[in-house]
Amino acid sequence: MIASDHTIRPAPLAPAGQQSELPHTFVVRVLRQDGPGEPSYWQRFRVTRERDMNVISVLQQIAAQAQTEDGQPVAPVAWECNCLEEVCGACTMLVNGRVRQACTALVDKLLAEQPGEIELRPMTKFPVVRDLVVNRQRLFRALMRVKAWIPVDGYYHLGPGPKMSPADQQRAYPLSQCMSCGCCLEACPQYLKIELTRREGESDEEFARREQQAYDRGFVGAHAISQAMLFNTHPTGRMQAAQRIEALMQEGGIQVCGNAQNCVAVCPKNIPLTTSIAHAGRAATLHALKKWFDW
Amino acid sequence: MPRPTELGPFRRPCATRRPAGGLVQRSTSVESEAARPLLARHEFLIRRLHSLTGLIPVGAYMCIHLATNASILAGPATFQDNVDRIHSLGPALPFVEWTCILLPIIFHAVVGVAIIRTGLPNTGAYPYEANVRYTLQRATAWIAFFFIGWHVFHMHGWVTLPHWREQVARTGLGAQFDPEHASSSVHEALASLWVTIFYLIGVGACVFHFANGLWTMGITWGAWTSPAAQRRAGRVCLAIGILVMALGTAALVGVWQVNARTARRLEDARLQWKHLLAEPPALVPATPGESPGENAERGGVSARAMSREASAGDGAATGATAAAGPVDARELGGGEGRYK
Ligand code: HEM
Ligand code: SF4
Ligand code: SF4
Ligand code: FES
Repeated sequence: MIASDHTIRPAPLAPAGQQSELPHTFVVRVLRQDGPGEPSYWQRFRVTRERDMNVISVLQQIAAQAQTEDGQPVAPVAWECNCLEEVCGACTMLVNGRVRQACTALVDKLLAEQPGEIELRPMTKFPVVRDLVVNRQRLFRALMRVKAWIPVDGYYHLGPGPKMSPADQQRAYPLSQCMSCGCCLEACPQYLKIELTRREGESDEEFARREQQAYDRGFVGAHAISQAMLFNTHPTGRMQAAQRIEALMQEGGIQVCGNAQNCVAVCPKNIPLTTSIAHAGRAATLHALKKWFDW
Repeated sequence: MPRPTELGPFRRPCATRRPAGGLVQRSTSVESEAARPLLARHEFLIRRLHSLTGLIPVGAYMCIHLATNASILAGPATFQDNVDRIHSLGPALPFVEWTCILLPIIFHAVVGVAIIRTGLPNTGAYPYEANVRYTLQRATAWIAFFFIGWHVFHMHGWVTLPHWREQVARTGLGAQFDPEHASSSVHEALASLWVTIFYLIGVGACVFHFANGLWTMGITWGAWTSPAAQRRAGRVCLAIGILVMALGTAALVGVWQVNARTARRLEDARLQWKHLLAEPPALVPATPGESPGENAERGGVSARAMSREASAGDGAATGATAAAGPVDARELGGGEGRYK
């Protein structure tokens, strides 16, 4: 049995000598925001160092103490997390200025890199919901734009699908590991924040429609390009290959990429995003020629 | 309270930077498909045309241009021959210049500036090598923008209308290149060390932009896809960049090495030949059996032969002038007045 113990229990510090240079306590600076469209502000918290701490346990301690470094009582900092093992992507935020998952950001390492203080900020490319929680709807909307799925629904049993070659499996597997965390989008210089505010008297439906339209005209992002390539590799998914490429050639499509290659550098799953982008570029070139010359 | 943000490609009106890295932009209403701006609807095509014009014709032209200019190292006569070959297009030259060079550059530059405005460089937070090149691609684009704009004015005067050229040339700031006095006029135009340094920076920026652009182009069109292939392609693009930069540097070194007096005598002698050949056949010292057309060709050949002597030194140049005929070249020379 593996004990699942996520309670906040201060563990004794590691034996002296090994980590003696690390302090007992450290400061955490959090960029907070009370709600969508509200102004943001910094708050400092003092956190007691525990063994094997990650940024999630730091945030748990901050929530438990609910007061700033100078003793002012404040509302607990809001954040999101699920899996705690870097497979859901929910806890993505800027830790010391770099986008990553909070659950795998280990405090001892962070303090060794930058002593004394840890800085936490929400992602800058998505609208902030509250504190470190952002609205990543656009990320999922982009997956819909490129039809990142395999349509297998029907009224009758279609039989087994075509076989996938081991070579294609090798190519597809790394792409299938995407957890929609948004790191690739946060680091991309061509992916810019889209945040709409509701107009006077605008209904929920009207606002949602306007927001969706704005999202659909923005850059799809590296994750969606890579997912389109994943499903174009699949023997059944390939049947909609032209539709996915066509979607990638619309406004905000693959052409917006400026080849900065930050996406591949920050992807926690090491997904070969720039290879996917180049493959999509080639497919788009061929697709355009096919359309132009009616091949 | 931040204003609503909403972005579309090629559209970033009244953008202000926020510390959070997003952009504040005025919001638009729900639009119908037809109401979308033309640029947005044809974004893919425009971006691909932008990419293509970077190589053909703009990039290819730059390479040929720098190679032609580097030929000045071989002496004023070779350079003059190369310039003559280009100017043999005569009245068609401005048309070719505009359709094959200037308009594509203007297209690439205008779309390029629009593209730059859709990005938010972040090398501070993510100082990766490829990201630094992404930012440099945009920085060099701006340098190229202003350098090319000024360079075309400095040498060419932007437009070839005679009246305008005269006005510009008299100010001494633009239209410095005189195709009839190729070597001596560029030598004078680049006589200042500052102007030369400015050219070196401008050419360097254009060459980096071209070489790195070649590399990104391979990804854009899907020529090199895997990281290993992109690395190898990067090395090839680097080699191309170094080669083209060597051409550009050679051209500048060559321009500085020109002996203005010798070059001018040679160019005047050549002009004199041209004038003689333009006279009625009786005045041409024709070899028996040759038609005037062949003589015209000989004019070029002779100029080259003379230049070989000309580059040998001043004495030889006098010989070349003498060989051109009894008339003193400086009395004949067209387009000479500017230098008096
Ligand atoms: C005059 C001002 C210029 C501006 C403002 C400009 C702007 C740009 C920009 C912003 C890009 C990046 C496009 C992207 O990432 O998708 C680019 C790419 C490129 N530029 Fe320029 N450029 C200029 C001049 C030139 C010149 C003179 C050359 C050739 C010598 C050139 C060749 C290229 C090439 C080959 C690319 C690569 C296209 C690609 O990545 O698909 N550009 N230019
Ligand atoms: S591609 Fe990588 S960085 Fe981007 S969303 Fe997927 S896992 Fe995250
Ligand atoms: S390669 Fe393209 S998608 Fe990836 S970070 Fe750069 S611009 Fe963004
Ligand atoms: S909690 Fe799932 S990735 Fe961090």
